[in-house]
Amino acid sequence: MKTSDLILEVKGLNIYYGHFHAVQNVSFSVMQGEIFGLLGPNGAGKTSTLSAIEGLLKPQSGSVTVAGFDTLEKPLHAKSAIGVQLQATSFQPELTVGEILQLYAGIYGVALSKDRLSSVMREIKLEDASQKRFRQLSGGQQQRVSLAIATLHDPKLVLLDEPTSGLDPQSRRQLWERMEAMREKGHSVLLTTHSMEEAEAVCDRIAIIDHGKVVAIDTPQSIIDNNKTKPEVIAASRRGKITLEDVFIGLTGKAIRS
Amino acid sequence: MQTTIPNTSSVFTSLLRADFTTQWRNRRSFILLLLVPVIILFSWKGVIDKFGGPFALSSCITIGLVATGLMGYSNSIARDRDKGVFQRLRVAPMPSWCIMASRLLVQLAMILVLTIAVLIAGKKMDNITLTPAGYAMSFLTALIGGAVYLGLGQLIVGMIQNPETVNSTSRLIYFVFIMVGMFGELGILGDQLKEVVMWSPYGTVKRIIAAGMQPAAWNAEMTTALLVTIGYALLFSFIGIKKFKWNNKQ
Repeated sequence: MKTSDLILEVKGLNIYYGHFHAVQNVSFSVMQGEIFGLLGPNGAGKTSTLSAIEGLLKPQSGSVTVAGFDTLEKPLHAKSAIGVQLQATSFQPELTVGEILQLYAGIYGVALSKDRLSSVMREIKLEDASQKRFRQLSGGQQQRVSLAIATLHDPKLVLLDEPTSGLDPQSRRQLWERMEAMREKGHSVLLTTHSMEEAEAVCDRIAIIDHGKVVAIDTPQSIIDNNKTKPEVIAASRRGKITLEDVFIGLTGKAIRS
Repeated sequence: MQTTIPNTSSVFTSLLRADFTTQWRNRRSFILLLLVPVIILFSWKGVIDKFGGPFALSSCITIGLVATGLMGYSNSIARDRDKGVFQRLRVAPMPSWCIMASRLLVQLAMILVLTIAVLIAGKKMDNITLTPAGYAMSFLTALIGGAVYLGLGQLIVGMIQNPETVNSTSRLIYFVFIMVGMFGELGILGDQLKEVVMWSPYGTVKRIIAAGMQPAAWNAEMTTALLVTIGYALLFSFIGIKKFKWNNKQ
């Protein structure tokens, strides 16, 4: 592994909310051109981990390095190497899609001429929507705009927090294709997801987090192969053939999380 | 692929453009805020004859400032925090103070618009004119007074997370300030309350604006009122900023 290929390195991350230890000694890395998935039940610590990477949350210990910049020591450098699509991404409802793109282009220091704006809108198949308000778009269209904003400044790392939740199968497939296109261009992608299908379909490697700890980290197939003989995984299997979801349930338990 | 940090002035310009556009699209609600002091001024012919033009103008500007800080600023901050607008902005490579500074600059511009509107209404409807120094001081004292209510708005969104509760609290405080302030100042609610109102955020702001309109009449008591006003602005802002959370899920 060449250090120059390392885009994200999370080392010994610990996050507390009062006495609650939400993220416990989490470590993983993401390479250039890799799609890495963070999987875990609700409240497992995925969003807290992502928030620490985004610089929204200060960990009690551990470090996060993005494109060689420590997020605590050089937060602005690290942030400029990241493109983010938040779980609850929202933009000022009074602004049009074109104005939102202009705003974020300015914030990321990207010159967005009329032609460039049209080309971005064409790329996301929303040629006629630049004068529409963000809330007037469908869920899939909103995701496309959010992703376009996240990649406007050509970031080395793109963070996607549950990007396909609430999308129809067509929009989901389209988003997967966009993620793969980003990988081909050399971007690294870190996504959180509840969808095992998504993890298997697009992720090169995944980490399963439970109760704030990484319980497995590898390629989806290797995670299946390494865990398929465990009794708890076999017990979770519904159709005989062990799937990633069976491994996930086996490793994290059947109990519903809040 | 780049890792250059955009320069702060271009970031700030982009934020300001977006925030002014947002304010422009919400112009109806601002016009409604503006109408209250203008209507009061229109209906106060008797008060102007009895207490003078500066008394009426300063009361109306103060009412507008209370509305701008409490209803306009705090509600827009609470709404955007609830929708995650701030979280999205904070993951961008810029210092967080830029986000708030841009919002505050827009509000200060609105305070100037409000002051101009009341002064024009005073001239057109009641023929109240000031000296050039009086006009200049009116703007200056209105901005200082506006800082008190923006600070109070910040305090409300710092202490309260829920946008509906922010809305109802700011309305309640607005109502209390206006009613107790106006009637208390006139002595209708008793001498003791009159004294309290005089040194309250309502009373000190109103008095420095009124005194600013007649610079020749400025005295030591007004200087004390100015210092108390600045103290209120600093205190409210300090607590409001310290308690403020960018994300209402924290």
